[in-house]
Amino acid sequence: MSFDVTSVGAISVISLDFMVPIAMTAVGEIFAEKAGVVNIGLEGVMLTSAWFAVLIAWTVNDPYLGLIGGMAMGVAFGALHSVISVWLKGDQIISGVGINLFALGFVPFATFAVWHVSGVYPPVSFSFGRIAEISTPWAPLSYFVPMSVVIAILFWYVLYRTKWGFQIRATGENPEAADAVGIDVEKTRIIAVLIGSALAGLAGAYLSIDVVGQITKDISAGRGFIALATVVFSGWNPLVGLLGALVFGYSEGTATWLAGVPEVRSAIPHADYLLGAIPYIATLVVVAVAIGRSRPPKAVGIPYKRE
Amino acid sequence: MQSRGEEVLKTAAITKIYPDGTQALRGVDFDLARGEVHGLLGENGAGKTTLSKILSGILRPTSGDVFVNGKKAEVRHPKEALKLGVGMVHQHFTLVRNFTAFENILLGTDVNPKGAGASKARQEILALSKDVGLGVELDAKVEDLALGAQQRVELLKMLYRKVQILILDEPTSSLTAPETVDLFKAVRRLKEEGKSAIFITHKLNEVLEICDRITVLRHGEVSGRIEAANADTKTLARMMVGRDVVFDLVKEPSHAGDPILEVSDLVVRGNRGEDAVKGVSFAVRRGEIFGIAGVEGNGQTELEEALSGVRRPSRGKIKLGGLEISSLSNNEIRKHSVGLIPEDRRQMGLILDMSVAENSILGREWERRFRGQGIALAWAKVKDHASRLIRSFEILVKGPDSPAKSMSGGNQQKVVVSRELTDDPDFVLAAQPTRGLDVAASDYIRRLLLKTRDSGKGVLVISADLDEVLQLSDVIGVMYEGKLLEVGPTEKMTRHKVGMLMGGVKE
Repeated sequence: MSFDVTSVGAISVISLDFMVPIAMTAVGEIFAEKAGVVNIGLEGVMLTSAWFAVLIAWTVNDPYLGLIGGMAMGVAFGALHSVISVWLKGDQIISGVGINLFALGFVPFATFAVWHVSGVYPPVSFSFGRIAEISTPWAPLSYFVPMSVVIAILFWYVLYRTKWGFQIRATGENPEAADAVGIDVEKTRIIAVLIGSALAGLAGAYLSIDVVGQITKDISAGRGFIALATVVFSGWNPLVGLLGALVFGYSEGTATWLAGVPEVRSAIPHADYLLGAIPYIATLVVVAVAIGRSRPPKAVGIPYKRE
Repeated sequence: MQSRGEEVLKTAAITKIYPDGTQALRGVDFDLARGEVHGLLGENGAGKTTLSKILSGILRPTSGDVFVNGKKAEVRHPKEALKLGVGMVHQHFTLVRNFTAFENILLGTDVNPKGAGASKARQEILALSKDVGLGVELDAKVEDLALGAQQRVELLKMLYRKVQILILDEPTSSLTAPETVDLFKAVRRLKEEGKSAIFITHKLNEVLEICDRITVLRHGEVSGRIEAANADTKTLARMMVGRDVVFDLVKEPSHAGDPILEVSDLVVRGNRGEDAVKGVSFAVRRGEIFGIAGVEGNGQTELEEALSGVRRPSRGKIKLGGLEISSLSNNEIRKHSVGLIPEDRRQMGLILDMSVAENSILGREWERRFRGQGIALAWAKVKDHASRLIRSFEILVKGPDSPAKSMSGGNQQKVVVSRELTDDPDFVLAAQPTRGLDVAASDYIRRLLLKTRDSGKGVLVISADLDEVLQLSDVIGVMYEGKLLEVGPTEKMTRHKVGMLMGGVKE
């Protein structure tokens, strides 16, 4: 097997592809958690949005509308999650688990209901191919890569430099204090959740429309949970979150690349499965190291009730 | 009657019934004049806080009206109260702890602390703080500020919003004596500027010192209103409690024996890794109450936790009846005849959602007498035990099955105390034993502690309540910034001396 500049370049392109959905989802979740709402249903949001994006793209034959559809599905889930956990003061964890369970059942069912196949649709790749690419010496790179960098920077700026971000952070740290000075805690939280979920929806749509070109019942493959781990790793800072996503992207990219090398495949039985575990092991390690060191927003996960 | 300015705030027949049916206020009339400090006095649960929350827009009254500057006001939200010039400084500050003082003052205003108007706002705030004499380090994070400084941030927050009517809820509860003096100076300055204040407290001396008029609430009703100039503590106490209150506990001379608890050179780290207790040594003898005075946050919590085995000291020795216990766990220490009354009954003393019976055996559930068939607990015996405690400690509760949270603070504390005093422990540690309790409950618990001492046990009382320490202790030590500044017999530790020591001033 040859390992040289070319393979490093190839690995990097794959890795950056994998970085994108984790980065976008994590940045969105940081935004929502900074306002005090955690959504452990991100996995379900990504999965359902991925499915919906394919449905839209397939129906109207336009990948961009598919992406927008996925984002809209993210917003819809954000609305559901905020109604339950912000407005009705329900338990955020239960709401999130509900979203995950719903997605697990809904996507295989709906795939079958719409296309009469189980599991994977369409059986062949989309005719669209990769959308909007930047050419590199190794492989084309998605525009989503620079876009997720811009999103991370933008969200950092909003959170730490604008008045609105200032109010969002106050809401997640001490909603009583925010309320006492006239900040509408519920509104602030709901908007933050909607925006955060929109990013998770877009991330799911990017996976199905752009990266894979089809919908499978397990297309999100734990990325929603990895994004949650990235949030902890980042210490709730979008820029560090981007870095964390890059680490996870590389662990997945490297595993994917290795699995494609014939020497590796013949040397290790069931190499796909073993290598496929790398990102999840990386997640465990990162969370074990980061947890306790990074300080979450004080009021995250606690519904705000005035008395 | 002195002449009063025009009326800036009035309530008419305010009634508040909470969703659970508790009637907190019954037809309360209250008014406030320009330039007046109006004291609102009452025991816990009298309705002081409910009234202030209605005035500041946090709660809505069930019926009745609020008038601000003569106009009927519908305050549905703190924002609307602020617009009308009514601002509240809560007892538990509503500050974002990891934001700076500056950021906290600007929160909710049009000014972005990272934006264009920030430097102008900073000038305004500095001018304000100089005006009123409230100095604050604007760029320090709130969590690094002393409680007195945090309160100044709250006050500046309100003044920056051009508040005309300040509601101060138990403003001195976490202040040192010198800080209280400064606060009163600031309030007087604001008065001169024509601002008004509602001063909520249960401390009689303070209302007499700072207020023009005093309104006393009892069971949600106004039980009296009096000009401060015509009032004294006895009258006020009677209005507050509804009967004469005996302020002096009868205290027998102490018969101190040999030491039961010996602490030497104890160093304990706080949550942030800093040394919170910095080399403390003292001894508590049998038959004596050793009182540790001090403003909260000077290492008492960490000291208490180290003595209870909840936090491991990083240096030093703790001997209980000659036995070294500094490396024992809480569970192990409890087996050596000690009673531990933690400072935070709601977090550490009780599990509020559990029943009184369950709470009454917390930490004792391993005892043989509660053992039933196989691995089961003998619940009937547990309930009997709880019923006995309820009877002998006069705990007001429906029965052993009622949840702890359904009781008042005083009765909750009685559950903790009764559990810890079961079996007459040789040593009792009582941290902030009467914090937040009303006069009657405090009195009951203090008597119990004295009784424990009189029966020849050693008692360590850690309290931020200066009166309590002076009243109970045979020996007093004052804790300041992690050190015991001075230890001496109560006769030699005057109120003035202890008060100054609490503020770090050694004379």
